[in-house]
Amino acid sequence: MPILDLGYRTWVGHRSPEWLRWSVVATTGISLVWRGTWLKRFLLFASFPALITMFGVGLFEQSTRDESYRRMFNGFLASRIEPMGPRNRIRDRVRDRAPIISESADIATQRHLAWSHLLLWYFRYPQSLWIVVVIGLVAPRLISYDLRSRGYLLYLSRPLSPSGYVLGKACVLYFLLAMITTFPALAVYSFGLLLTNDPAAFLQTWDIPLRILLGTLVLILPTSAVALAFSSLTQESRFAAFSWFAIWIVGWVTYLVLTGSAMFSQDDVLKLQQRWLLISPYHVLGHLQEEIFGLLPDGRHQIGPWILCGVVSVVGYTVARWRVARMLKV
Amino acid sequence: MTPVIDIKGLTKRYAGNFALKNVDLAVPVGVTGLLGPNGSGKSTFIKAVLGLVHVDSGAGTVLDQPWPLQVKSIRDQIGYLPEDDCYILGLQGIESVQMMARLSGLPSTEALRRAHEVLDFCDVGQERYRNVETYSTGMRQKLKFAQALVHDPKLIILDEPTTGLDPTQREEFLDRIHALAHRFEKSVLLSTHILHDVKQVCDQVIILVRGQVRIADSLANMQRPIQSGLQIRVVCSAGRLAESLRREGLSVQTMADTELLVQGESTEIAATIWSASQREGVLVERMDESRNSLEHLFMEIVSEKKHAHT
Repeated sequence: MPILDLGYRTWVGHRSPEWLRWSVVATTGISLVWRGTWLKRFLLFASFPALITMFGVGLFEQSTRDESYRRMFNGFLASRIEPMGPRNRIRDRVRDRAPIISESADIATQRHLAWSHLLLWYFRYPQSLWIVVVIGLVAPRLISYDLRSRGYLLYLSRPLSPSGYVLGKACVLYFLLAMITTFPALAVYSFGLLLTNDPAAFLQTWDIPLRILLGTLVLILPTSAVALAFSSLTQESRFAAFSWFAIWIVGWVTYLVLTGSAMFSQDDVLKLQQRWLLISPYHVLGHLQEEIFGLLPDGRHQIGPWILCGVVSVVGYTVARWRVARMLKV
Repeated sequence: MTPVIDIKGLTKRYAGNFALKNVDLAVPVGVTGLLGPNGSGKSTFIKAVLGLVHVDSGAGTVLDQPWPLQVKSIRDQIGYLPEDDCYILGLQGIESVQMMARLSGLPSTEALRRAHEVLDFCDVGQERYRNVETYSTGMRQKLKFAQALVHDPKLIILDEPTTGLDPTQREEFLDRIHALAHRFEKSVLLSTHILHDVKQVCDQVIILVRGQVRIADSLANMQRPIQSGLQIRVVCSAGRLAESLRREGLSVQTMADTELLVQGESTEIAATIWSASQREGVLVERMDESRNSLEHLFMEIVSEKKHAHT
């Protein structure tokens, strides 16, 4: 018998609004995944690339004052891109052996271009891979564990709809992905502003935080939707994890095989890259981010990746919701 | 008094088969037992009340709120103990009760305080700090009960709550249900197969068979016999006593080797029974007003329905 057993007592108090109850699913999910030691280690490692990006921003700001740093910065930026990747404004300069930052250039334009490219590199290369790893570690068990232990009945016996439940679960992923991408990217941007002595720097780059937010959305929404859909389709989280990694690896390898042949000329490769872009989720997201950060050259805009991104998001969340609602009928 | 659940014309089909067929049901205030064989539609009815399954037709009120229009708001006032073994993997007992309180809108700190209080009431000790997946079946039943009570609901729906409990725990569990209903004015809908539980705590009984309500009445009415009489249990064989009573002109029915049912007004026949037992040297162990057996009634209704179906 407990020491302070008061028996049953009635309770009267103010309750939170019904439409906010999904936040309990989110906070419970975050508190559960936060107990994983490996996740914390991954998040720590995932923060290191932000330091490299900050270093790049610092180097650029130094190069605006000291010409000896200009070559160093151009070299730093050129080393941060894959030479055979799809065309963009920086890559074109590297291929043409033109300096990325030149003496004659307008500093405001160069600052925007340099920061955008550094942030694009941050999103496109290290963080995209970290997103795949972290989602692969966390997402497969988010819904599948509840399906296995029938925990969804507990959630849904309260004022919570299947949509609210899926939203709560998705917010667990949104939070983790924001910790990997949005917050560090905004920190890099703020760091850049602090380093400049020019108050006009904010006016020259005010759109970059918005681009960061949009870039995050483009990364987060479809990837979370696919991961949750996989998680909801099985009670075995390992199957969901396998499917998750499989789509990235298979898509990426197929894209490289289809576009990377040495038999084709440079122009042919570019055409093939455009044609087969939708095969690889990694390259689709990369293309969208280049467009969001304004680094695509003229004439490279494609509507296909945007449509694919939207369709995948809608289908993913619909499948997850449908599976949860369907489980109640059994 | 207004029924806590008053639903008319409730129909639910699964792939063309009727799980509930045009059910009109009024669950009054108090403890109501929902009885029925497997597949009779008890769980579907409960899930329909909670809005967890879409119904084909039906309308009414639950806790004076329009059903099924306001199911979300209704769920806030209901505590539900599911039949299934369900838990959130990785959470401690206390955390899972706190989470359920927060899902019902309690602030986080208040939810924790309330969770401790309710777990004390449900006799969950230090086990509350263990992960729920390590709990025994009985512990999980207690945990689910605590989760159903933590937001202080007006209506508590318990689906097979005493499954997996040992006899002592079961008695304690039924005592808690009784206390909630009679001291704290909670309405309880108890879905179970265990007729003993129903007899012990229920005021009303509803029997569902093949998706239709066969009987909905108070337990007292259901147990009232068609003819009044006394049920007698003796220590040794009841044959001699039965013969003696028949010689006195009473109608006697032998129920078992040591049990008799004597028909007649109890005040008139009691003296005759005592004198006959004294004369025959038969020791009477127990003498009660005769009642219909809920078990017999249940079996009759179920078999009647089966025959009708075949």
